[in-house]
Amino acid sequence: MTLAVFTKRNIKLFFKDKGMFFTSLVTPAILLVLYATFLGNVYRDNFVASMTEGVEVSEDVIDGIVAGQLMSSILAVSCVTVAFCTNLLMVQDKARGAVRDIAVTPANPAVISAGYVCASLVSTLIICFVSTGICLGYVRFMGWFMAPHDVLMLFAAVFVLAFFGIALSSVVNFFLSTEGQISAVSSIISAGYGFICGGYMPISAFGEALRKAVSFLPGTYGTSLVRQYSLNGVLTEMEGQGVPAEVTDYIREFLDCTIYFSGKEVPESAKYAVVLISAMALMGIYIALNVIKNRKSA
Amino acid sequence: MTEDIIRIDHLSKSFRDVKAVDDLSFRVREGELFAFLGVNGAGKSTTINMLCGQLARDEGEIEIDGERPESNTDEIKRKIGVVFQNSVLDSPLTVYDNLQSRAALYGITGKAFRDRLSELSGLLDLSGLMKRSVGKLSGGQRRRIDIARALIHNPKILILDEPTTGLDPQTRKKLWSVISALRRERKMTVFLTTHYMEEAADADFVVIIDGGRKVAEGTPLQLKNAYSGDFVTIYGMTEEDIRTLGREKYDKVRDGYRISVGNTREATELILKHPEIFSDYEITKGRMDDVFLEVTGRNPGEGGE
Repeated sequence: MTLAVFTKRNIKLFFKDKGMFFTSLVTPAILLVLYATFLGNVYRDNFVASMTEGVEVSEDVIDGIVAGQLMSSILAVSCVTVAFCTNLLMVQDKARGAVRDIAVTPANPAVISAGYVCASLVSTLIICFVSTGICLGYVRFMGWFMAPHDVLMLFAAVFVLAFFGIALSSVVNFFLSTEGQISAVSSIISAGYGFICGGYMPISAFGEALRKAVSFLPGTYGTSLVRQYSLNGVLTEMEGQGVPAEVTDYIREFLDCTIYFSGKEVPESAKYAVVLISAMALMGIYIALNVIKNRKSA
Repeated sequence: MTEDIIRIDHLSKSFRDVKAVDDLSFRVREGELFAFLGVNGAGKSTTINMLCGQLARDEGEIEIDGERPESNTDEIKRKIGVVFQNSVLDSPLTVYDNLQSRAALYGITGKAFRDRLSELSGLLDLSGLMKRSVGKLSGGQRRRIDIARALIHNPKILILDEPTTGLDPQTRKKLWSVISALRRERKMTVFLTTHYMEEAADADFVVIIDGGRKVAEGTPLQLKNAYSGDFVTIYGMTEEDIRTLGREKYDKVRDGYRISVGNTREATELILKHPEIFSDYEITKGRMDDVFLEVTGRNPGEGGE
């Protein structure tokens, strides 16, 4: 019961903080508009240019693939950046002194930590699922080829990636204690994560060394899952329109739907395993950090 | 005989080379108003943090209502309610939400919470405030909510860390009437730190610390007697009359003159020696400010070195 009430308090605090809530919610929407405005044509031109001579696909398919690419980029980045944003409450509590008020109670520190994580998960999922809905609306408008299974799995991938984002942000935020640090970390994550996870630019476009380096980052596999479900329907439709499988396989590789580790293709189940196991490991680190901290103050 | 509810023996705490609390020992009796005084940085907050189990001590013993933090921290936390110097409640949330979330941390939920809330609402007159955001309350209202939060689990000891700093005199007076009612009706022990010496003057017992060490302790009367003389104010006499008393130091006050004497006995002797001068007069004890200044060499509220 304590966990439920404390989680509710954290969720309410996040949604009452209009600046934080709207920033989290509006950022994916703004990204969608910016992507569509500035990158849509670039993606489209790249795609058309990459088509081998004699291969023709309908305008709908081209629009669908560009929209799917935009959607997957936004969701891959947002799941983690929004998680960082919602999980900042634990730092704000330190900065504003609420943590002292909590520490004078006999509440189990593990329950308090779990309360932050649960609240962050709920808030992140609300925002990310709303963002997914908006993005799906955009794809529907541009060119819809997604099967119900892909839509469901897209939500599953968003869930897993959001969970990973929360685990990562819990560990990072553990070391923060001031509003200044909050702002610095938010800026770094917002600016940097999109690049290293392959959200802003396909990993296949990176140099060899960088490609190898990012293959060790769990976020890469989360991005690949989101890309896979976002683009599966439209690529299947391309094959239906007579595009050879070699071409669609190439596109899958180019857009990171298919991803390799040490030269071997990573299956879908392994992608989930990498993201989930990493998230669990990060959660373990977060719990260990809290235990060490509590032992020190006892 | 009243029992000690807080026992501190040879308590020490250092932060690297800085000795924040140095071999501190004192007792707080059950039901008393205990004033813990010191300039900023004297070690008051460090001591409170150790009392509340928020900070590990380097040396010494702490016993609160028979419990020791090393064996039963949770039980001690249930016995203590803290009003922090700055309100630490969640400003965007309503008073109800704040109290509900804090009560849950003590395992008080559902009907138990509603019953306790209703009790506190009557005690602190919170009925009109429940749905208002804490951030939109006045300073006095917010302080009342801070007290309600500190009392939500019905503690035996209420720690007030400079509770009236920044409040206007009327609000301070109201707040003290609430605290007095709590002490009267619930026999609650109040552990107070304050910069307002007139608040400390009403305490049952006072400990003054400086540089982490105890420099004085006693009832306000004992401290005044030990560290501050008495004042005799004489009315209706001329300055020439006052000079006949043979005192070099005297101050002109409204309608009269004030003479500083070592103690009440000295004042009595002076009166008996010069009855013609003392037709209209009063003897007053020194103030706690004088005691504080004498003991620490600084005014209350000043920072430590």
